[in-house]
Amino acid sequence: MVARVSPDLPLRANLSARENIALIPLYQKYHGAAEASRQAQALLDKLGFGKIGDKRDPDMSPTERFVTKLGRALILRRSRLIIEQPGAMLYDIPYPDLIRSLAQRVDEPADNWEIFDYTWNQALY
Amino acid sequence: MSTIVNMVEHLGGKAVGWWTTSYGILSFLVDVLSTVSRPATWNRATLDTIVKQIYFTAVQILHVYVIYVLAISWVIITITLSTARNVGLFDTATEMIIRVLVLELLPFITALLIALRSGSAINTEVALMKVNNELDALSHCRVEPMQFEFLPRIVGGIASVLSLTILGGLLILVLAYLAIYGFDTLGLAPFTITIASVFSLPLLLGLAVKCVFFGLAVTTLPIVAGLETPKKTFMVPVSVLRGMMRVFLALVLIEVLSLALKYI
Repeated sequence: MVARVSPDLPLRANLSARENIALIPLYQKYHGAAEASRQAQALLDKLGFGKIGDKRDPDMSPTERFVTKLGRALILRRSRLIIEQPGAMLYDIPYPDLIRSLAQRVDEPADNWEIFDYTWNQALY
Repeated sequence: MSTIVNMVEHLGGKAVGWWTTSYGILSFLVDVLSTVSRPATWNRATLDTIVKQIYFTAVQILHVYVIYVLAISWVIITITLSTARNVGLFDTATEMIIRVLVLELLPFITALLIALRSGSAINTEVALMKVNNELDALSHCRVEPMQFEFLPRIVGGIASVLSLTILGGLLILVLAYLAIYGFDTLGLAPFTITIASVFSLPLLLGLAVKCVFFGLAVTTLPIVAGLETPKKTFMVPVSVLRGMMRVFLALVLIEVLSLALKYI
């Protein structure tokens, strides 16, 4: 099973970052709203973006949007995590460094995350 | 010759379009029924979302609805009473008010108000979700859009039409009493007898079924219209236009069918 972080899989626009992530424990693991929300906030805190919990998609920066998508993919707890076209989501920062630092924050070696990027961006890694 | 061919093509296109739309609506309703019948659907998260939808659909418009119902009812009650007095049918005025206002006009106006306020919003939101791939993203996360997005709106719509109609009906009865008898309690006995004679059990059941169909129409048709939207942003207004036209036609059809069943 694959969890994807992709420009083709947007966040639910009328939900906050925390609610977008909390949907998964809420609907897949049947946790209560409070517990699902706590888990989502804990994950955002771990990623170093705890302050964006209440932000909705249109109010987020590209990095915040990416982190929320990543949180949503991580909480799915699938065996593979694929990040597709990171340059299309993180167009305003040197994204390989950000992805590396996020992987360290969740105690996962960056190698566990598969990144599908254009070949001409290979030099960035 | 080419005119005839064009006409046949046009008619064929229309027929196929109607068939496709009807099939889409029926297939969606089957999906709804299948989701409703699954016990796993009725978890805490679904119930919470339904409560939210009822709040957005019924509670948020309560003050507008009450003012609207009071104003329109007062005018119609006054006209009915004045006309009944002029033609010497004042004794039947209460029954006329109940039959015309409470049983026919009120559910229709309630459904129309919810369609204009919430139906159009649902249509736009679902169309935008479709265009922006948000539904695909939810499916990827195994959060079924039917359970999370659609079913709560449908249940919320039905509950809202039902509850607002009951509330509006009670308000109209109070207004009608005040208009006929004023603050005199002597009219309570004949008034309640008339109410009891009009509101038979089959009539109440018919009213409830009509409200359920109204609720289904004002939510299901906009959702289906939203789901039919091609993935192009400029098609969203077209989708809303189509959805709202279908809602209006469905409401008129339900009302006409209900009248035909009752009086013909």
